[in-house]
Amino acid sequence: MATHQNGGSGGVLLFSENPETVGELLTLGRELASRLHRPLIVAAVGRNAQALLDEGLARGADEVLAVRDSQGDGIVPDESIATALCEAIRASAPAVVLVGATRTGAELAARTAQMLQIPCASSCVALEMDDAGNLSVDRRVYGGRFVSRQLLNIAPRMVTVPPKRFPRAEKVSELHGSIQELQVELPAPRIKTMSVNPRSHSQVDISKAEVIISAGRGVKKMEDLQLLEKLAKLLGGVLAGSRPLTGDVDWLPVDRRIGLSGQTVKPNLYIACGISGQIEHIVGMKGARTVVAINNDAKAPIHGEADYSVIGDLYEVVPALIQACEKAMGKVG
Amino acid sequence: MTAAGIASVPSILVCVKFVPDPAQLQAEPLTGRPDLKRSPFRISTFDENAIEAALQLAAEHGGRAVAMSLCAQLPPKDVVLKALAMGVAAVYLVKDEERLARDPLRVATVLAATARTIAARESLAQWDLVICGEASADEYNQQVGPRLAAALNLPAITYATGLTLLNGVLRAERAIEDRSETLEVNVPALVTVGTEINTARMPTVLQIMGAGRKPMVELTLAELTGLDIDQLKAFPAVEVLDVFSPPSARKQVTIKGESADEIAAELLRRLGTDGEVTL
Ligand SMILES: Cc1cc2nc3c(=O)[nH]c(=O)nc-3n(C[C@H](O)[C@H](O)[C@H](O)COP(=O)(O)OP(=O)(O)OC[C@H]3O[C@@H](n4cnc5c(N)ncnc54)[C@H](O)[C@@H]3O)c2cc1C
Ligand SMILES: Nc1ncnc2c1ncn2[C@@H]1O[C@H](COP(=O)(O)O)[C@@H](O)[C@H]1O
Repeated sequence: MATHQNGGSGGVLLFSENPETVGELLTLGRELASRLHRPLIVAAVGRNAQALLDEGLARGADEVLAVRDSQGDGIVPDESIATALCEAIRASAPAVVLVGATRTGAELAARTAQMLQIPCASSCVALEMDDAGNLSVDRRVYGGRFVSRQLLNIAPRMVTVPPKRFPRAEKVSELHGSIQELQVELPAPRIKTMSVNPRSHSQVDISKAEVIISAGRGVKKMEDLQLLEKLAKLLGGVLAGSRPLTGDVDWLPVDRRIGLSGQTVKPNLYIACGISGQIEHIVGMKGARTVVAINNDAKAPIHGEADYSVIGDLYEVVPALIQACEKAMGKVG
Repeated sequence: MTAAGIASVPSILVCVKFVPDPAQLQAEPLTGRPDLKRSPFRISTFDENAIEAALQLAAEHGGRAVAMSLCAQLPPKDVVLKALAMGVAAVYLVKDEERLARDPLRVATVLAATARTIAARESLAQWDLVICGEASADEYNQQVGPRLAAALNLPAITYATGLTLLNGVLRAERAIEDRSETLEVNVPALVTVGTEINTARMPTVLQIMGAGRKPMVELTLAELTGLDIDQLKAFPAVEVLDVFSPPSARKQVTIKGESADEIAAELLRRLGTDGEVTL
């Protein structure tokens, strides 16, 4: 019972495995669908299929395409989801396909696009559609130092968009979307999941923080992060970090990573402590209003990206800053 | 080489992209575009980790790791030598002077044909393992790995943080945003890796000198078996309109003082004046 079998929807099809990201893609998707005067469709497939369906309808999708395994099982492995997405795209023949650029989304988009033999523009930070429906997108290249503006002029125009790039669409007061079912046949999964462990995640959303104290490899031990945490508290900010601290070692949850492979932040104040300032990091904090760099290497590139540079040992400077803050707040002498 | 997926001596293919080093690439003063002619090249960061992962598995099982790279222009020789010096047995360079393979769809299609071509040259029925970086340092598409898996009809494990191979079964640790997973798959398979998986070795001068004797094989697109060049040209494309550097304007004031306390006080005063800190 596929939709739009004749002629295709010419609309906007969106997918993310994460319901919150679906909410964000609906904001962008609605804008594009209105320009095209075509439907906005959410593909609901995977472990969270029901939540994706609910989110789609609640936040204004015109249609939810619920993809079901013809064997009746849930569609869980990524390889199966990619096959399901191929079928969803074939069935709805959209002008634009939006996928959330999480790690899972990046893989699914790439695999799906190759199976369909179509291009895909990854991690687009800006999108613009002209009246003919052509989509021009901005992507970060060369570590983020440059922006590449690219044009997708043949449907389906597939792009991935980083999470948190757009606000979540508002809930609609009256549900108007329809649910269409799509049965697909799936190949036997080849990858077996032996175990799954949740990774720690934060209570705070660093993309919304006004003050960020950011830690790099200049911080020698995990315990030393408490020093930075203390400064963050005093300034009403949150702690974040560079890729090494949020991946190579798990001193901070990965959702606190700033940069090309992490989040883009725009705080009023960004204090980089022991961060060298490689371009892949800088691209995530370029939007900060004021940047402070604390680094004992005068040649570290971070100094070129800072409003205020302190060339010194963070183990001396940060405690001094903490003391100065406490003094200013009247806590100490 | 494998019979029915039993990899006693695994054959490993690593995808290596040679890129202008993003840390050293400058903008042309007049146009703001990247000055690619003057930028030094390097092995794309995560591909060094891919090489390292391949070498570790090969060393453990007595297998062989070979690298392939698709290049619009041949990279400087010393950068290719570095891959050989790290320990890969051979580097295959596919020259694409016309730049027909200019997006991940085309790159993966050409690399799939390359993988088949090299396997035949190396007298292998198939590659047990193909390893890619999770993303290239210049384009950051995060696409070519999973696309190549699709093109070769291989299962893909992306963002692997640990790999072990036992009796033809690849066990991988994998980390995504909200969870880590342990997965198993029968080889042949493709994996993508980032810096989390290992620390790539730095070849010694001796190794680099010795590497000159290892095979560095150049191929053209026309030499790749099963590649349909007309199809490649006909694929829908993404057109690059412009590449530019967004302007950045920071004050770049160095805060000086006799002591850490003086510096801290001065920094707070400045931030207070700017309205960023109110205590
Ligand atoms: C494709 C790709 C994507 C990437 N994505 C990201 C990303 O999203 N985010 C990210 O951060 N990185 C990312 N990276 C990695 C990036 O290139 C750098 O390797 C990383 O940002 C370096 O982290 P760092 O500054 O903490 O460590 P380092 O580069 O090791 O710098 C540590 C700094 O601390 C200073 N220091 C040491 N001791 C002290 C002290 N006592 N007091 C003060 N300063 C001190 C040193 O002078 C040095 O400058 C990516 C890389 C690639 C290739
Ligand atoms: N031209 C190329 N030659 C060889 N391998 C490549 C090439 N382009 C991409 N790759 C591989 O695919 C990975 C991901 O690249 P990308 O999809 O461009 O981010 C890289 O880390 C390489 O392992």
